[in-house]
Amino acid sequence: MKKIAITGIGIVSPSGLDKRKFWSNIKAGRSAVEKITRFDSSRYTSQVAGHVHELDAYSNVSSRLLKKIDMFSHMGLVGAELAIQDSGLDLEKENLDRAGIFMGNAIGGWLFAETELRDLYIEGREGVSPFAASAWFPAAPQGQISIKYKMKGYSKTVVADRASSLQAIAYGARTLNRGKNDFIVAGGMEAPVTPYALLCCQTSGMLTQRNETPKTAYKPFDKNRDGYAIAEGAGIVILEPQERVKKRNAHVYANIVGYGTTTDGVDRINPATDGLSLASAIRMALNDAGLKPEDIDYICLDGAGTKIGDLTEAMAIKSVFNGSSNKVIASAPKAIFGNMLGATGALDVITTVLAMQHSVVPPTINIEEKDPECNINLCINKAIHKEINNALVINRGRGGINCALILQKP
Amino acid sequence: MAVEDTVKEILNQVLDVKPEEINPDEKLEDGLGVDSTEMVEISVGLKKALGIDISDNDLKKTHSFNEIVEILKSKGAN
Repeated sequence: MKKIAITGIGIVSPSGLDKRKFWSNIKAGRSAVEKITRFDSSRYTSQVAGHVHELDAYSNVSSRLLKKIDMFSHMGLVGAELAIQDSGLDLEKENLDRAGIFMGNAIGGWLFAETELRDLYIEGREGVSPFAASAWFPAAPQGQISIKYKMKGYSKTVVADRASSLQAIAYGARTLNRGKNDFIVAGGMEAPVTPYALLCCQTSGMLTQRNETPKTAYKPFDKNRDGYAIAEGAGIVILEPQERVKKRNAHVYANIVGYGTTTDGVDRINPATDGLSLASAIRMALNDAGLKPEDIDYICLDGAGTKIGDLTEAMAIKSVFNGSSNKVIASAPKAIFGNMLGATGALDVITTVLAMQHSVVPPTINIEEKDPECNINLCINKAIHKEINNALVINRGRGGINCALILQKP
Repeated sequence: MAVEDTVKEILNQVLDVKPEEINPDEKLEDGLGVDSTEMVEISVGLKKALGIDISDNDLKKTHSFNEIVEILKSKGAN
């Protein structure tokens, strides 16, 4: 594919909203996973999550609009504003009919929806906010961003479980390759720390139950891991073609140079036990980028933190990287703040471009005993200095979704 | 509370507008940017506050503040 530049980033995460603070927390491996306090989670098997604490301080949303939208749209709007500011785009000079919005989300806005559904059964139809219908659905943030900035170009919302926002960013890059838009606001958002959303996540059987030790609960690739901790947040990037970047002399964090996606066709929750479809997606991305496995300097892992998830991810990497699988360094930095489900891919992309910018591999925290069956070269517990020119980002979703995106230093 | 004051209070709750921002003869749509979904919430709020029967189509965003007060009075609000 023709390379597409990332020229701005917006972070809304449990590890911070300011990009310097976020990177400082990631580099240091400071866990932001906490006991859930928003509601009584004592009867849930998983009671820990990453929470966003500073949203109001960064909010660009009027109190009138806040009554109509869910938290996931709110986080999307804040992330979009941060990314647009960071990119230096002057929207007044842009043709907004050719500005696109590509978002990823897995579960919709349940903080708003479940409150209203409860009222429906208690008070009847007049107890339900008329905004419920337009607040909860996964494309709501795309609509809100479009309304706020008057962006009217070709746009899309992708729903693909934990791979949603990586797919959205990749489809955004492909759309720019086809010349359909001038620039794209891409990424994802998720607000799963609600009673019903947590219940939905819990039934997957993929969540950690280490409730007494939230900070160390999510431990991908540790021998004794038992699943991931959910997190809320948003990650937004600005995508632009090369000719525009040169013309406006924009800062480029990294370029998207390759993408591949496949599906397992095996199980509604778990990935295929052989990792072959994920390996195909990685090869597809490498071919798309015109790169060989040995060109990759860093892998940002999916890191589901389940036995089958970690094992099959390691198998796929070993299959593609053969002799170099012990040379290329990999990590799952999302263990620091939790798994943002539909937004996790966007945060992985942002973390990876910051890693490239700082020449630092962020750590996989909470590993006490690395799973010996996962034969990959992990950056464990402490960041290391390393020049990263090409990086691979892997995301997977329930239903056997496999995605691989390749980023290149400018 | 007078009907006028109740309408002002509901508009404030739904739209965050102060009484002095309301032009009584201007359509809610034009003066306050009310959309159809907000109008539903305003209707439900008035129905609850005044304890009168208002159907979904009685109050419209194209009505002014004064017109809404008149409709509510015609339905028994006082």
